[in-house]
Amino acid sequence: MHRNAAGALIVVLALVLSRLPGDAQAPLRIGASISLTGTYASLGQMMKRGYDVCLKDVNAKGGALGRKVELVSYDDRSDPGTGVKLYEKLITEDKVDGVIGPYSSAITEAVANVTEKYKKVMLTPLGATSSIFKKGRRYVIGVITPSEAYLEGLIDIAARRGAKTAAFIYEDTLFPKSSVRDPGAAVDIAKKKGLQVTFVEAYPKGTTDFAALITKLKAAGPDVFGAATYFDDAVALTRQMKELNFSPKAYGVTVGGDLPKFYELLKQNAEYVYGPSQWETGLPYPGEKEFVEAFRQQFKEDPSYHAASSYSGCQIYVDAVRRAGSIDADRVREVLLKLETRTTLGDFKVDQDGLQIAHKMVTFQWQDGKKIIVWPDELASGKPRYPTPAWTQR
Amino acid sequence: MTITPQMLGQVVISGILAGALYAMVALGLSLIFGVMRVINVAHGPLLMLGAFATYFLYHGLGLNPYLGLPLVMVVMFGVGALVQRTLVARVVDAPELQSLLLTFGIAIALVNLAQLAFTSDIRSVEYLTASWTVGGFAFSKSRVIAGVLAVAITAGAFLFLGRTRLGKAIRATSQSPDVALVCGIDVDRIRMITFGLACALAGAGGALIAVMVAIQPEMGQIWTFKSFLVIVLGGAGNYPGALLGGILLGLVEQLSSLLLTAQLSEAVSYVLLVLVLLVRPTGLLGGRAT
Amino acid sequence: MRRVVLPALAVVLAALAVYPTVASGYGVRAMLQLFMWVALAGSWNLISGLTGYVSFGHIAFFGAGAYATALAIARWHWPWPVAALAGGVAACLLALVIGYPCLRLKGPYFAISMLGLNEVLRALVSYFEGLTGGGSGLSLPTLEATIPIYYAMGAVAVAVTALAYAIITSRFGLRLMTIREDEVAAEAMGIDTARHKLAAFLLSAAGPGIVGGLFARDQGFIEPLSTFALVMTITMIVMVLFGGKGTVWGPVLGAVVLFVSQELVWARFPYVHQLLFGAIIVAVVLLMPRGVLGVLQQRYRLPRTI
Repeated sequence: MHRNAAGALIVVLALVLSRLPGDAQAPLRIGASISLTGTYASLGQMMKRGYDVCLKDVNAKGGALGRKVELVSYDDRSDPGTGVKLYEKLITEDKVDGVIGPYSSAITEAVANVTEKYKKVMLTPLGATSSIFKKGRRYVIGVITPSEAYLEGLIDIAARRGAKTAAFIYEDTLFPKSSVRDPGAAVDIAKKKGLQVTFVEAYPKGTTDFAALITKLKAAGPDVFGAATYFDDAVALTRQMKELNFSPKAYGVTVGGDLPKFYELLKQNAEYVYGPSQWETGLPYPGEKEFVEAFRQQFKEDPSYHAASSYSGCQIYVDAVRRAGSIDADRVREVLLKLETRTTLGDFKVDQDGLQIAHKMVTFQWQDGKKIIVWPDELASGKPRYPTPAWTQR
Repeated sequence: MTITPQMLGQVVISGILAGALYAMVALGLSLIFGVMRVINVAHGPLLMLGAFATYFLYHGLGLNPYLGLPLVMVVMFGVGALVQRTLVARVVDAPELQSLLLTFGIAIALVNLAQLAFTSDIRSVEYLTASWTVGGFAFSKSRVIAGVLAVAITAGAFLFLGRTRLGKAIRATSQSPDVALVCGIDVDRIRMITFGLACALAGAGGALIAVMVAIQPEMGQIWTFKSFLVIVLGGAGNYPGALLGGILLGLVEQLSSLLLTAQLSEAVSYVLLVLVLLVRPTGLLGGRAT
Repeated sequence: MRRVVLPALAVVLAALAVYPTVASGYGVRAMLQLFMWVALAGSWNLISGLTGYVSFGHIAFFGAGAYATALAIARWHWPWPVAALAGGVAACLLALVIGYPCLRLKGPYFAISMLGLNEVLRALVSYFEGLTGGGSGLSLPTLEATIPIYYAMGAVAVAVTALAYAIITSRFGLRLMTIREDEVAAEAMGIDTARHKLAAFLLSAAGPGIVGGLFARDQGFIEPLSTFALVMTITMIVMVLFGGKGTVWGPVLGAVVLFVSQELVWARFPYVHQLLFGAIIVAVVLLMPRGVLGVLQQRYRLPRTI
């Protein structure tokens, strides 16, 4: 009985763990793991939707290399380890023809080891920490501006209007931390612009009560306050700032503040909050109207930059495959390294390490329920309302 | 950074307000443990259901969250009684590990069901977002009301346990199910009522928290652990211990965030817990070794 | 019995030894992770299954091993097999320091102190970022070693299982189970309970420490949140209870069945895998509270040392 059971087990495992390679005539399959559950679920959802709209467009235009393009995606539960396993599965089991990036820097950093190992080009629409690209990896290509620039707009706006002091807090994970603490990130930018940085501190992921932290911030009394957040914490922090009456002259969050949900949840308390964005609806980029229209029609909501970057990232990848005339990683990489283009997301050009250098971020401010782009001047659609008035006057 | 008395006062206020809420939620967990020797890991997810109930009452029927609270408690009492009768009752007399695992299974199923039913989107009840200022200290309206209601509900629960026949029966069952049975107490029924009551407390917690933080399916887990910490700190199965443990945890969390950093505040709570246990192996207010 | 079991085992091990030559990259990685779970579940069983002291933070040893190994590789350039062994040593040292005071606690008090250990370690790793990289995580130099790590992980899984067999069939194991059934009585019988518990605790920490080190080398990137993940502790507990706690083969069976079904379910049904996982747990607890092997033991009079 034991031998039979053990034998059966091996057979089952073998069946589970191996499958026949895909048919050559079949569609071009692109694999990705996306955070559909777990902490990054709402942003991962945007990413998935961006990919979906892209593939619809691509296939409407005849696909690539004469084949239809298909997305094979799994849920990585917002966990880097699961992501690693999934990319390995996509590449060696599902035998996808190419891969495209997952959500978040931490997961991108982890899975990049796998995609490198199998020599697959991985365009990462939402992996934006410079260190990912500075480890001698050959096939990782960035789409959005890296983390260091996220708080630049906020700091610049305040510095030009006479702010003297700055304070920053960040969630203690790869991306938020690098947007504040990396060389050339928020702290350095503030110092370079002549601001005195009076307070910098980390808080753990999952924090819901910011009372003590805000008490310290209040005592530090900065003119400009930047918080490197994801979404839940951005909402909680803003609410408690009001409760504890902490009102700096300019306050911005890095991620999450740009989602329409941010305003829906906070209503007038979201007014005057700044946030960086890789992209906003209404920017003068090619295909913007069509994309937004298609997205709204399909999902009944506005796309965030996460969706736009995934959409454009996928477009750029398919385009590179078309130009290379092949899915071969080295040839696609050649094309991408030389590519200089303007997409729905904005400009695209990478350096020899695959780090994005052309794309420009914008900074918006919530004004009367709308995100008004207030920085940089050449893309601005309005003026920043500075300084932010007391909470009772919003 | 120099810590001023002003800052210290503000943080102590926040700590006590948070602690009152911890105490109320943890009392539910403590009740279940006391009466059934079951560590209910699903306590947090049940709290999450209470928060969603409040959300839907507020956005669907326009019901003020504080007026909705009794309704949420009644509904959650029913949910709790049902969960106890159908599932937990079968493992009450089994070793602790079995019930722990069962409630863990219930917990992840509940969270996943909530994700399917409500999606992972974050929601909130935007009500009372400002604060009162007294003597230079800010008192967040929602947190003060939550704290006051939590104290009131906890006090009500104590009165119920101490004064009423049913409450006495619950305490008797908690001290010794066998003796209670001999005394003519319907132990099965008491256990069901206790579980319902505990869920009502979790639901009340959910309702109050719904007004303070974002509502989403995974919001509950952290409350399971905090409650667990609170009742062990105070003494598992010791009901006043939950109150002491709750306030203590609230203060320690806030003060360690202020004096050290937010990153270390959870670690400090656990270090404190282990130190307390080393000196008093069954928590501050005794309880009984199990 | 033995005449059937030993050849069967030899066949399985031989099949697993040649598996990497025929399997895909994912196949190897999945099997490697299965070994990891066998080792983790088996280790948890040594302390919690045998003595009844439920460790709710056993993944702390995994995390300690992972960080010790990663630091040894990244900062001091040790070869990875040595570094992984050092991870095991680090986990044992931690167990010694923690076990001495905490094993005096009983029931839920011990459980939460172990949970606390995990949280404290995670906070410390995040806080001392100069050494550990903090929340940004720690990246190891790229190295393609999946297949050697496969064998190393397999060896740890075999070692943990063999250790469990050795303990369960020994007087030492009997004494541990006596502690589980009634600690006061065990004490009265002259068993030095403190030393026995501590010994079991140390043995149960070594496996997770080494496995954590191998995991860190294999992933090439670790960060505090996913390295000290509570859900991993819970998964190993579920595996042991599913298979049958206090048995030799229960953790192996639980790890294989749950890991394979999770791989299958999660791939096909991303939105409901947790629900199904929860339902499986509830069903196991209600229908076979002593685990699969427990049920089989009752029904077929299998030896206690299975």
